[in-house]
Amino acid sequence: MQHNQTVARRLRGCKGYLYLAPSLIILLVFTVYPLIKAFAMSFCEDYSIIDGSFKGINLQNYQDLFADEVFLKALSNTTIYVVFVVPLSILLSLVLAVLIHNSLRGKALFQTLYFLPYVTSVIAIGIVWSWIFNSNYGLLNYFLSLFGIPAIPWLNDPHYALAALIIFSIWKSLAFNILIFLSGLASISQEIYQAARIDSTPRLRVFFKITVPQLRPIIVYAVLMGLINAFKVYNEVFSLFQSKAGPANSAITVVYYIYDKFYNSGDYGVASAAAVVLFVIILVLTMVQKSIAKEKEEA
Amino acid sequence: MKRKSIPCLLLAAAVTVGTLTGCSANADSASTGASSTGASSAASSAATSDSAIQPCEVTFWHAMTGQQETTLTELTDQFNSENEYGITVTLVNQGSYDDLSTKLTANAAADTLPDLSQAYNSWLIPYLDKVVHLDDFVANDYDNYEDIMESYREETSQFGFINAMPFNKSTYVYFYNKTMFDELGLEAPQTWDDLLTIGKTFLEKKNMVSLGFDDMAGMLEATLRQNGCDYVSEEGALFDTDAGQQAIDFIMEMYNNGYARLVGEDGYFSGPFSNQLIPAYIGSSTGVSYITHDGWELGVAPLPGNTEKAANTAGTNIVMFSKDANQQKAAWEYLKFLTSTDATVKWAMDTGYLPVRTSAYESETYQNFMQSDATATASYAQADAFFSSPAFDGSYDIQNAVNSKLEELILNKADGATAMKELVDAVNGAL
Repeated sequence: MQHNQTVARRLRGCKGYLYLAPSLIILLVFTVYPLIKAFAMSFCEDYSIIDGSFKGINLQNYQDLFADEVFLKALSNTTIYVVFVVPLSILLSLVLAVLIHNSLRGKALFQTLYFLPYVTSVIAIGIVWSWIFNSNYGLLNYFLSLFGIPAIPWLNDPHYALAALIIFSIWKSLAFNILIFLSGLASISQEIYQAARIDSTPRLRVFFKITVPQLRPIIVYAVLMGLINAFKVYNEVFSLFQSKAGPANSAITVVYYIYDKFYNSGDYGVASAAAVVLFVIILVLTMVQKSIAKEKEEA
Repeated sequence: MKRKSIPCLLLAAAVTVGTLTGCSANADSASTGASSTGASSAASSAATSDSAIQPCEVTFWHAMTGQQETTLTELTDQFNSENEYGITVTLVNQGSYDDLSTKLTANAAADTLPDLSQAYNSWLIPYLDKVVHLDDFVANDYDNYEDIMESYREETSQFGFINAMPFNKSTYVYFYNKTMFDELGLEAPQTWDDLLTIGKTFLEKKNMVSLGFDDMAGMLEATLRQNGCDYVSEEGALFDTDAGQQAIDFIMEMYNNGYARLVGEDGYFSGPFSNQLIPAYIGSSTGVSYITHDGWELGVAPLPGNTEKAANTAGTNIVMFSKDANQQKAAWEYLKFLTSTDATVKWAMDTGYLPVRTSAYESETYQNFMQSDATATASYAQADAFFSSPAFDGSYDIQNAVNSKLEELILNKADGATAMKELVDAVNGAL
């Protein structure tokens, strides 16, 4: 009874948290708990999710993981993917956003066109792109043939598979970036541009000295989101290569590896260890990126 | 301010956890209540008791779509209305095989498996102790178990007990473009040498690659067995022998000479085959429904062999997970019905899958059907050569490793000796 009264007093004291409870519950159940569980599972040798049994608590899963060629391949593929997709996508979408923003006519039309990939299912787009990349009938090879370039077996040859994936992903990630850059551009005060016009500043100079610095917080945000999303690439692989990881596993990514190990191989411990490794990579990158952004802000 | 908020956060967490444990406690008591009347383990003691079956509902998870689902529904409706015990079988479509497999694993962990489900043996390994042993049911209450095709009986008892009843079975066959073959004076191959001849002829006369395999690991296993060589076991690769080397040399010869190609971006060979871009391929007998042959004649033949005949079988079986004795008996009634001669004949004729009983093949209805169905005829012709890949802990990893290694070797035009060494390493490394 006494306890209940205390509880009631405290409840009044933090009504706010009660309002937060529904989302907190969901967050705890579907994000925090799995996170902790994955950490725990990654240290359990031969963990079984069926009965929760395991052989012992050690680093065996991590040893297996780093001894697995497929995982190392997945790690290097993912890194190459991130290195190409994130900067190229940001650069392209920034240029496109400025062009759309400055065009007087058809602004709404272009905005809609560029946003379409974002609202369409990745699987559907992946199937379309797998036809664009088709070595015999593909549009891409047709265009290349106009310049005298022979047909490239994009999806059949391990040397091109990752390149195909990167091209597809850059195109796909443009939509979201263009959208946030457009909203950022709209919030830049026109007076600055007018002042530049009075001084008849060259357009490129305007872009680098006004537009880019003014958009900096948004670019930082886009890079951060781009990095995180690029490290988690899975759907794109799955849809482009028709539920495989490319010819001879040449386009396998870390998340693809995790899924395969968990659901197909039943190596729950190794899958968890791979998930933890990915988590640490993203965490470190995010922290580094944030501290760089902060330094610049203070400077 | 910051200090004060910590106990509040803890409280919110406590509330959350409290709700959760409350929920799971309820679920637990409900499930023990339901199962208290029956056997708590997966043992099949139910089969021996002869008390009548009480009316009940049996859930059956499956991954059948289109015509397959229609026929399954018809058969199930028939069972529901005709059975004398008031058993109602409820079909639940769980999407694709991958979805079904994922859901079964999750439900095994939560201990909420359905009464019956389609499943491959390899899926069951993590939760094999939840599978009902069907031996007693088969021994005491089944019509002529010996009538079930021998390879299916072997497959469904590979764990040392009867773990399933065969259901939607298929086999790999050789599909060929008979019009093109006639034009070049070729016939369906019976041996590896025939395959080489066909490959050479098509390459020289039409500049075409003449063969593809939908399933690379399946191709390797079948080719090894066709040369009297074993494939893999839980211990690792078994094909590092002279017979194995011959088989691998043959495979690499087919690919390196341009007689065979990988499926790559086509996904399955039924597409290019329909468009006459490849004159023959080896794939599942059920793939025939994806083949369109406008203006040319489709031929179907049993798989060629070398020193022996060997043909892969595929397709799932039905597994029982019921814990309650009455549920088990009710589910068994349905399995008896579904694997009866009449039901398996109807199933096979409507869907293109294969009957599970010899008597079904021999029935007049199915014999008549086979006369107009080349796929069924070719499948039955190799019934003695059926084999299934053994499932064990790690068999998926081996399949995965072999698929990707074979693709790599073929793309690199490796020689037979290199291929042997790298395949053995891939298999043993996957374990």
